[in-house]
Amino acid sequence: MSRAPVQTRTETRPAIVSPYGTIGPFFPFAFVDDANDLTEFEGRKAMGQHIWLAGTVVEEGNVPTGNTLLELWQPDTNGIFRHPLDPRHADADPGFFGFGRARTDRQGFYRFRTVLPGQSREPDGTIRTAHANLTILAIGLTRRLVTTIFFSDQPETADDPVLRCVPQSARPRLFARKDNALAASGLPGYRFDVVLRGAGETPFFVD
Amino acid sequence: MLIHFETEASPGVRQYLPYDDRTQTLRQIKDYPRSFTRVPAQPLIDRPLTLSELTGPTEIERRLPTGNADFSCLVPGGPRALGQFMTVAGRITDEDGAPLAGALIEIWQANASGKYIHEYDSHQAPLDPNFIGQGRFLTDAEGGYQFRTIKPGGYPVGSNDWWWRPPHIHFSIFGMSWMDRFITQIFFPGEPLNEADLLLNGIPDPEARQRVMFEPLPTKVTKTLNILEFRRDFVLRGKSKTPELL
Ligand SMILES: [Fe+2]
Repeated sequence: MSRAPVQTRTETRPAIVSPYGTIGPFFPFAFVDDANDLTEFEGRKAMGQHIWLAGTVVEEGNVPTGNTLLELWQPDTNGIFRHPLDPRHADADPGFFGFGRARTDRQGFYRFRTVLPGQSREPDGTIRTAHANLTILAIGLTRRLVTTIFFSDQPETADDPVLRCVPQSARPRLFARKDNALAASGLPGYRFDVVLRGAGETPFFVD
Repeated sequence: MLIHFETEASPGVRQYLPYDDRTQTLRQIKDYPRSFTRVPAQPLIDRPLTLSELTGPTEIERRLPTGNADFSCLVPGGPRALGQFMTVAGRITDEDGAPLAGALIEIWQANASGKYIHEYDSHQAPLDPNFIGQGRFLTDAEGGYQFRTIKPGGYPVGSNDWWWRPPHIHFSIFGMSWMDRFITQIFFPGEPLNEADLLLNGIPDPEARQRVMFEPLPTKVTKTLNILEFRRDFVLRGKSKTPELL
């Protein structure tokens, strides 16, 4: 069977991919509530600096967005993804899985307990600024929203391939900041607030 | 405008193009209020895909445990939930048609009277003591899956009956990476409420709309079996990154 050439959105391709739908209001709490702690996996403690990563989600008019599902995917303290595509994955921390879920309460507040990620290394050697991936699903969103969280007190690598695509003026919105008010149980807190729409809107990526 | 959505070719790397809007649900739907306060006003930003996006949780069942895929009763052989017993089967593939083995599926649905087990469900309908309507299971080596349940009822959105959702079952699927993490809801053919449902009709393309419909299988009337059976296949975004020469 012959293959079509590499295509872009400007060309035609078979319309076969299943349509995304909204998560709606009734995603079971039971699917979320035991999944917001990434610092332990199968009885092992994750290596590295454990942190709270928390904040609020708001929509147009600065109105809190409750009942949203947030999903996190990130590398371990050494920047290694628990996935075979990462050339270093054999050295991934066995106490760190890298995936977690949280939901916002009626005030729009969410909270993950996770590990401060290290700098990941692309197969071509490019070093990425330490980051975590965040997906947001909610009523009213018929497609997921995807963004990337960086950490304001971590070193920025030269020309991070994702950060450089974001207009300079919007970049600060992708940085979680240390926030003493979020510190608890001896762990430092980082605040990452999300503005779905309106003034100070969070940058989201093509998906 | 060209969308630069690929990374440098390297072995094992898959290709993910942006969702083609023509196959998808509109981002904003008239009369679906939240879509106008929540969908970003700024354009989405194009960026290359790095390891971070091309990887994703593997063996996710080690974080999100699976159970049995029979939602029609609480314990095998126990009392059946109220409503029409039915089965769903299907297959999950990528855009090449390659099966996604070991993909984790989560489903959640209302009971036969249109009531979810959920703190935010204010519908004045009873819970069913024999129905939970939520759970997880995996696809097999051929990407196949199946589960048993009862047909959900429709339910009103809000309190003034302005919008009754037609019966549907929600699916959440973990594919091969962060790029094909997928969520949708699947509808039943022939339901009069389908005609006016904002979300179903938010998929403008009729052919695409069929892809969120259960397909009824001919009822097998045999000595031993007479069961309402539906089929639903899913195609998740992504294909093998083979060199495209010429
Ligand atoms: Fe629903």
